[in-house]
Amino acid sequence: MKWITARRRHPLAGYAVVILALVLFGVGYAAVAPTSDQAQAQTLAAEVASPDDADAAEGKVVFDQTCASCHGLDGSGTATGPDLREVGPASIDFYVSTGRMPSSDPSAQMPRREPVVSEEELADLIAYYNESIRSGEAGPEIPYEVPDEAPEPEDFEPQRSDFESDEEYEAAVEESAAEYEAALEEYEAEYEDYIQGASDTDMGMRLYLTNCAHCHGWSGGGGALTDGRWAPEIHDSTPREIYEAMVSGPGAMPMFSDGVISPEEKQELISYVKTLQAEPNAGGIFDLQRVGQVAEGFIGWTVGLSLIVACAIWITAKQRAHD
Amino acid sequence: MSKTTQAPKALRGVGNFIDDRFHLAKTGEKNLRKVFPNHWSFMLGEIALYSFIILLVSGVFLTLWFKPSMVEVIYDGSYERLQGVPMSEAYASTLFIDFEVRGGFLVRQIHHWAALIFVASLVVHMLRVFFTGAFRKPREINWLIGVAIFMLAMIEGLFGYSLPDDLPSGMGVRILQGVILAVPLVGTYISMFLFGGEFPGEDIITRLYMLHVLAIPALLLGLIVAHFMILWHQKHTQYPGPGRTDKTVVGTPMFPGFAVKAGGFFFFTFAVIAGLSAFVQINPIHLFGPFTPTSITSGLQPDWYMGFMEGALRIFPNWFDFSIFGYAVPMGVLVPGLGIMGVVFGGLALWPFIEQWITGDKRARNVADRPRNAPVRTGVGVAMITFYGLCWLAGSNDILSETFSINLYLTTYIFRVLVILGPIVAFMVTKRICLGLQRRDRDTLEHGYESGTIRQLPSGEFIEVHKESSEETTDVLASKPVITSTALADEVDDKGVENPAARKGKGRLRRALAHWYTKDNVSFEGVEPHSGHHLHHSKDVEKESAAH
Amino acid sequence: MTEKNNNTSGAGEDTPERVVGTPTAEQSVVTEAPAAQDDHGGPYKASETHVWPEEVQRRGEKVASLWFLLAFLGGIGFLVSYFVFPVDEIADPQIGQYSNMALGGSLTLAMFGIGAGMTVWARKVMPHYEVASPYDELPSSAEEKGSFSDFFMKGADESGFTKRPLMRRTLILAMVPLGLAPIVLLRDTGPLPGDKLKNTPWEDGMRMYVEGTHRAIRAEDLENDPYGMISALPAIDDENYPHGISLNDAAKSVILLIKVPEDDWKQGMEEEIEVDGESGQRLNWTHNGIVAYSKICTHVGCPAALYERTTHRILCPCHQSTFDASDAAKVVFGPAHRPLPQLPIGVDDEGYLVARGDFTAPPGPTFWDYAKD
Repeated sequence: MKWITARRRHPLAGYAVVILALVLFGVGYAAVAPTSDQAQAQTLAAEVASPDDADAAEGKVVFDQTCASCHGLDGSGTATGPDLREVGPASIDFYVSTGRMPSSDPSAQMPRREPVVSEEELADLIAYYNESIRSGEAGPEIPYEVPDEAPEPEDFEPQRSDFESDEEYEAAVEESAAEYEAALEEYEAEYEDYIQGASDTDMGMRLYLTNCAHCHGWSGGGGALTDGRWAPEIHDSTPREIYEAMVSGPGAMPMFSDGVISPEEKQELISYVKTLQAEPNAGGIFDLQRVGQVAEGFIGWTVGLSLIVACAIWITAKQRAHD
Repeated sequence: MSKTTQAPKALRGVGNFIDDRFHLAKTGEKNLRKVFPNHWSFMLGEIALYSFIILLVSGVFLTLWFKPSMVEVIYDGSYERLQGVPMSEAYASTLFIDFEVRGGFLVRQIHHWAALIFVASLVVHMLRVFFTGAFRKPREINWLIGVAIFMLAMIEGLFGYSLPDDLPSGMGVRILQGVILAVPLVGTYISMFLFGGEFPGEDIITRLYMLHVLAIPALLLGLIVAHFMILWHQKHTQYPGPGRTDKTVVGTPMFPGFAVKAGGFFFFTFAVIAGLSAFVQINPIHLFGPFTPTSITSGLQPDWYMGFMEGALRIFPNWFDFSIFGYAVPMGVLVPGLGIMGVVFGGLALWPFIEQWITGDKRARNVADRPRNAPVRTGVGVAMITFYGLCWLAGSNDILSETFSINLYLTTYIFRVLVILGPIVAFMVTKRICLGLQRRDRDTLEHGYESGTIRQLPSGEFIEVHKESSEETTDVLASKPVITSTALADEVDDKGVENPAARKGKGRLRRALAHWYTKDNVSFEGVEPHSGHHLHHSKDVEKESAAH
Repeated sequence: MTEKNNNTSGAGEDTPERVVGTPTAEQSVVTEAPAAQDDHGGPYKASETHVWPEEVQRRGEKVASLWFLLAFLGGIGFLVSYFVFPVDEIADPQIGQYSNMALGGSLTLAMFGIGAGMTVWARKVMPHYEVASPYDELPSSAEEKGSFSDFFMKGADESGFTKRPLMRRTLILAMVPLGLAPIVLLRDTGPLPGDKLKNTPWEDGMRMYVEGTHRAIRAEDLENDPYGMISALPAIDDENYPHGISLNDAAKSVILLIKVPEDDWKQGMEEEIEVDGESGQRLNWTHNGIVAYSKICTHVGCPAALYERTTHRILCPCHQSTFDASDAAKVVFGPAHRPLPQLPIGVDDEGYLVARGDFTAPPGPTFWDYAKD
C-alpha cells in the first residue's frame, strides 16, 4: 500500500486508474460474454419419455400435488389459476417443460427455468390430463414428431446402491455412457433432420420476421411488452417448445394454428431462427449478445473513444526531467 | 541533437526545385515553427480528422463492389444460409463484400466503427470547445463550421446506415419518410420526389448513395479543410499557465515534435478502430436479413448519434396534434422529428452570439476558460448534455424496460418528466459545483495545498501542514477572469443618467440575462498567493510557514 | 536541429514590417531569459526544458525500434492472413470470423506498433521544450483598412455598377430564371402524390395471403383459434416480383388479421363507417371475431405488429404507439394520433377470407391531406 500511497498524487495517477478500469472492464466482458460454443450446447438440453408408457394414475398424484392448488382438482380453475380444460396438452407440456409451471407467484410472468417436474412425471401428468381433465379433443396436441431436448448423461447414470460389487457398478457406468452416447447421437440426427429438412429460407425468414420478430427480436433475444411483461428470449427453446408456443399461445402471445401456418411451414420458421442462432459471428468473437445498435454505441464510446483518448493522454502527458 | 547538420544534397535539390517555382522557404519555415499547445483535450478534434480519413479510405474500398440498386435479385452467392432468398442488389452486393472479398468484412466493420467514433469524437471535441469558451471571438466562424460538420456527419451517417438495405436500415429510411410526410402542405410532394414515388420505390438507395459518397463527403471535406485552415491561421487556444496570455501562445513547434506526435496519434486511432473491427461484430446485416416494409424487429435502434431523435419521437405525446380545415398537422411527429433537431443545432450555432450579446465582450480571447470559472456557461452546457442524453436514453427505453424489468409505459412517463426537470436540476447542481470549486481554488491560492502531513504543535494541537502550490498552479489559479457584462456597466452613465437603451424591452432582457450570467461568482479580488492565514493554526506554525 | 529553435534575442526585436496582403512574419520569441544550461528559451524552468541524456535517448531508440519491429511483424501477419484464408472459404461464417480476426488483429498490431513507436520517439529521443510565439493581431490597422476601402470604392466607381442602374438591373433580371432552373429540373425526380397514398390494391373480393407462405387464408383456419393472429398481404400474383407483389404495394396494403373473442369487443366497434357506399357498424366488417387492421403505424410508418392477445393491444416496436384491437384500433398510448385503418372483410363462397373494399382511411404515416377525398 505504501507504494500506492506514495504515488497517488502523481500527475499520471488518475490516468493510470482510468486505464486500469478500462482493462478490467474489457477483460471482465470477455470473461462473461457467451461464446457461440456455449450457446450451441445450451440448445441441446433431456430426452422425452415416450407417451406410450405413461401412467395416468401417477399423473394424478403429480397433478394433485403441484397443480390442483391453483387450477382446482378437476382443472376447472380457481381465482389464482385459469381453467385448463380447453387449453390442450401442448400448452401443459410447454408450461411445465420450460419450468414456468408450477409457478411460485401466479400474479407475475414466469421466466424460463429448470423444470421442477421430471420428464417421466410430465408424461404421466399429460396422460392424466388427456384422460380426466381435458374436455374432449379441445386444444392443440403435443407435436411429438418435433425434436425436444437432448438427452443428458444424468438420465443414464446407474445408482451405486443398485449394485453389489464395484466391478458390476463400473461395468454399468460404462454401459450407461455408451447408451448416453447412442441416445445423443440419435437425438442429434433427429434434430439435424428436422432443421435441415427445411429448405425455403425465404419462407421461414418472412414468417419469422413478420409474425415473431416484433416481440422476440430478429435474433430471438426477446423484447419488452406492456405492463412490465416481456417476450422471452428463445435461444434455449427447443424446436418442440417453439412449436407448442405457436399453437398454444402462452401468456400474451397470440396463437398460430396449423391451419394458418402448416406444420411444414412451422418447420421452415423454426429452422430459420435456430440456424440463425447457431451461426458463428463472422464479424468477431464479441457479438454484444446481438443486441445491436445500442450496445454498439455503448462500446464505441466506452471502449473505442476511451482507448483513443488514453493514447492522447500518453502522447501529451507532461514530461519532466527527473520522472 | 546538439549541432544542426547541413541538409543532405538530395533534400536540398528537392527543396530548391520547389522553392524556385513557389517561393516557399519563408512560408515553409513559418509553418514548421507553428506552435501547438500541449493538452490531451486538444487532440479530440484530431480523432475526428483521423477517423474521417479512415472513413474516406475504407469507403472508397467498399464502393469497388457495392451496387446501389434496388432491383430485386435471387441471391446465389456463396453465403449459404441466404441462398435462394430474394433481395435487393444493394443487399446482395453487401453480402458479396462480406463473404467473397478477403478483408471485405473487416473493412466494412472498420467503416462502421470509424463512423461511430467519428461522430463521438465530434461531440467530445465540441464539448471541449464549448466548456472552455474556445468558441469566443475570434473563433465564432470556426464554431459555426464545426456545427455544420456535426450536422452533416449525422446525416451522412444516417444515409450510410441505410445503404445496405437490410431490415433495420430500411426502417430508418421508413421513419425518415414518415417524418417528411408529416410536413404540412409540401410533405407528400417532398416524399414523392425524394423516393421517386411511393415508399420504398426503386430509387432511394441510388439517391442516398450519391449523397453519401459524393455530395455530403465533398461538403464535409471542404468544411474540414476550412476548419483546419482557420485553426492554423488563428492558432490554437491554450489553457492558462505561466507565460500564456491572449497575446502569446506557448507550446511545441509543429516540427519536429508535434508532427511526430500527431502522426503517431493517427496510427493509434486507426489501431483502436481496427481492433474493434477485428473482434467486435458491428451491424451484422447478413444476420438481419433483407429489408421488407412489412417486418420489424423489437429493440430496433438507429446508430447512437440518431438516438436522441428516436427518443424524442418516442416520448413526445400526441396532445398537440391538430387539424386545420380538415388538414392534419401532426405535431407529435413534427416537433421531435424536426423541432428538436432545430433546437439542438440552432442552439449550438447561436450560443456564441448570445453569450457575446449578454456580456458585451468584444475582445479576442485566446486563453481558454477553465469551465468552473464560467459557471453559467458550464451549467447551460451540462443542462444541454442532460437533455440530449435523456432523449438518447429514451431512444432505448424498450431495452431499458426489458433489461431492468420496468413497465414500458412507465419509462415513457419518467422520461417525459426527466427531459424537463433533468436539465434544470443539472444546471443548478453544476453551477453550485463550479462555485464550490472556485471557492476551493481561492483557498488553495491563499493557503497552498493540504500536504497530508499532520503535525502536533507544542500546545498539543494537531494541524495539517499546508504547502505552497507550484508556480504553475498559482499561475493557473490566479488567472481566473472576472466575469462582467457591459450591460450592467451601462445602467447609469457617468452623469448619473440612466441609459435609455437599458429601459427598452430588449435592453431590459439583456440586463436581466447579464445579471443572471454574472451574479454568482466567487471573487478573487485582493487574494494574494500564499498570503492566507491558517485560521486554526497557532502562531508558531504561522511563522514557520511564513518562513517557508 | 534544435538550434533552429533557439532565438535567444528579446521579443519582437527584429520583426520585419508587414506589407499589406502578406501574413505576419513569425518569430519564435522567448518571453523570459532562458536558463543557462540549455537554450530553448521556453517559459518553463530549465528543469522542464531539456535534452534527454544520451543513455535515455539510446534506451528510447531501442524501445521505439522494438515497437516498429512489432509493427513490421503485424504488417507481415496481415499479408500472410490475407493468403492463409482462401477467398472461396470465407463465406463459412466460422472461417470468416477467423479471417476477420487474423486480418484485423494483425492490422491493429501494425498500427499500434507504429503509433507507440512514434510516441516513444517523440517523448524519449527528441528534446522536450516549449516555445512561445505571438498570436497574430487579427484586425488590420486603420491605415490598411482605409487603403483597402479607398481602392475598392475607386474600382467600384470605375466599373459603373452603381452609377448605371439599367445595366445593373437587367443583369439581375437575367440571373433570376437561371436561379429557378435547378429547381424546375428536379421536378422529374418523382410523380405528384395524387391519390397514391390513399389507395391500396385491396378491393372487394380479394383474398389474403399469409406473408411468406403465399397461401390464401380460410376463415376457419383463424376463427377456431380463440386468440389467433397473422400478418397478411393481398393475394396478388404478379410475375414481375419475386413475392408476387411489389414492395410499394406490400408496404401500404399489409394487414394484421386478429381473432378477438366475441365478448371482448368494445364500444368503438359500433361506430358507423362507409365501405363502397354501404354503411354499417365496424363490427359488420369483421367476420366471426376476425378483424383486419393496417399493419403500418399511423405515426411514422413502422409495422405496428406487436399484438398482445390478453390486452388486445397492438404496439409499434419503434415508438410504442399502442392501439386497442378490440376498440377499432384507437390510440391508447404513445405518439400516434389516429387509429390504424380497418380493412372491411368477409368470406367468399369457398370459405376464404376476402376484403370487402379498401381501408377505411389512408394507411401509413399521417400526412397533410389524408382526411380529404
